[in-house]
Amino acid sequence: MGKTAIVKIMERAAGKPVKVGDRVWCKIDWSTARDFGGANCVLQFEKEMGADAKVWDPDKIAFTFDLQAPSHSEKVSTNQKIIREFAKKQGIKRVFDINNGIGQHVMLEAGMIKPGDVVLGTDSHMNLLGGVGAFATGVGNSDIAASWINGTNWFRVPETMKIEVTGKFQKGVCMRDLLTHIVGDLGAGGMDFLAVEFTGETIDNSTLADRITLCSMVTEMSGKVPIIMPNGEVLKWLVERAGPEVENRVKELSADPDAEYCKVIKYDVTNLEPLASCPDAPDNVKPVREVAGTAVDQVHIGSCSNGRFEDIKAAYDVLIAGGGKVSPKVRTIITPSTTEVQLACAKAGMIEKFLEAGIVFTNPTCALCTAEHYGALPSGDVGCSTTNRNFIGKVGKGSHTYLMSPMSAMATAVKGVITDPRDILG
Amino acid sequence: MSVKGKVWKYGDDVNTDVIFPGKYTYTIKERADMAKVALEDLDMEFNKNAKPGDMIVGGKNWGCGSSREQAVSCIKERGIAVIIAKSFARIYYRNCFNEGLPIIVCPEAVDAINMGDEVEVDFESGVIIAGGKEFKFPAYPEFVQGLIKDGGLIPHVKKSLGLA
Repeated sequence: MGKTAIVKIMERAAGKPVKVGDRVWCKIDWSTARDFGGANCVLQFEKEMGADAKVWDPDKIAFTFDLQAPSHSEKVSTNQKIIREFAKKQGIKRVFDINNGIGQHVMLEAGMIKPGDVVLGTDSHMNLLGGVGAFATGVGNSDIAASWINGTNWFRVPETMKIEVTGKFQKGVCMRDLLTHIVGDLGAGGMDFLAVEFTGETIDNSTLADRITLCSMVTEMSGKVPIIMPNGEVLKWLVERAGPEVENRVKELSADPDAEYCKVIKYDVTNLEPLASCPDAPDNVKPVREVAGTAVDQVHIGSCSNGRFEDIKAAYDVLIAGGGKVSPKVRTIITPSTTEVQLACAKAGMIEKFLEAGIVFTNPTCALCTAEHYGALPSGDVGCSTTNRNFIGKVGKGSHTYLMSPMSAMATAVKGVITDPRDILG
Repeated sequence: MSVKGKVWKYGDDVNTDVIFPGKYTYTIKERADMAKVALEDLDMEFNKNAKPGDMIVGGKNWGCGSSREQAVSCIKERGIAVIIAKSFARIYYRNCFNEGLPIIVCPEAVDAINMGDEVEVDFESGVIIAGGKEFKFPAYPEFVQGLIKDGGLIPHVKKSLGLA
């Protein structure tokens, strides 16, 4: 039997042969923290190791300021300052301050992430970096602080589930709808502690943005790590950013053709329709048609799941097809994932059209993934969002949220009630 | 070691936002203060009345959602003796070992236990005693036992490097 990608990745990281079920110490390529949780990592490291202790390697640590950028209160500002001062003292150069965007996306654009890298971060959606074949995982502050001591951490080598996707999406349907379908199909515990390889023609032909979307919600199914080894245009993009070593890694770490999987699931997207995760759980999935007509108070397009240029462009096309104005009954907010994405939107002339449409187009940040940033919902409000969680109260106590694709979200913003984007796109 | 306590029971997919609300993740840094807001958005009865030695019993996927470790710290600091669940979300599971909060996966026991029950857990023999019945649970993997014995991940790493 051959090896799966995660077994090869963990053998590289552990420096020895491993098998499924082993618990092994792995070398960490990047140990990162965001403004959310980062200050706690710093305080814990200094408490355990002493104020003068040095981290194992300042060139393998990064900080990203994304959840609350710019800071909205003095307490948040203080936490961000704790991180800046620690980075300066330790010689950590990679501090992506409030003008950059969502951490995983920023690090990817900066060429820091290669297939097979072991990446830790204080963000439960770190594993979207599996979209370029990295083993990236969200952890708590103890895991981060411990890894700063000697650059290692332990993991169990997981079983791997393989998901094969075939077919072409119809107009108005996209990768987010497939993801929502999978979350509904497998449920909140459907990938319990597993690695998941996504393969098949639909994946092979997909953009980086789509791969990020697909990988971003593996956490919502309790998965450990998604893996898509880069190919085609994505591989080319990654080599340009992260260097020629990327190609060696893909060759070395791709799954063997006879690798052993604990489960193989197949999906055909040909007849897929727009779907929504309804209140109050990501796996409470219904067709958008079924909940169409539901009044919403706010629409938010963005987040680490669906905040890339392609996502915003897809929403833009729906807006223009729908007449270029959003409903005055709905507060509509678009948040690009990074400054690079924001700039691309500006150059494409989209921001002007969004502003004329009555939309708030913000700086890059995680924004509405928490109740503690702009756009928090008051009790009784209904939101519609492209983020990854709609747990009750997540973006405001007593509020409820529908999760859907950027196209469905914009169709909803245009009509003021939940709307299937095919009703606008034809 | 054996512990006996009163049970606070909840359902499936209890997420970290209701265990430790997101609005506090920036503003609360002291562990004692974390304990004060534990489960605030899930159960105010627990928040007001839970006592050291009490136990939490949850359904499937306890602790799903955000990676915030405070969702473990607040329960540990509150003095909760153990969380028994049908399953734990992955990051929460890791955080429990890192924080030294005992957890048990035992679906049969969860089904047999009700809110307010008195339950006894014997960690050495791997038995939960509830409603006059005994439920066996498996020992932690040897690797994890090593972490627990040293008091969590950071003490374990320090010990392995001769720093503690």
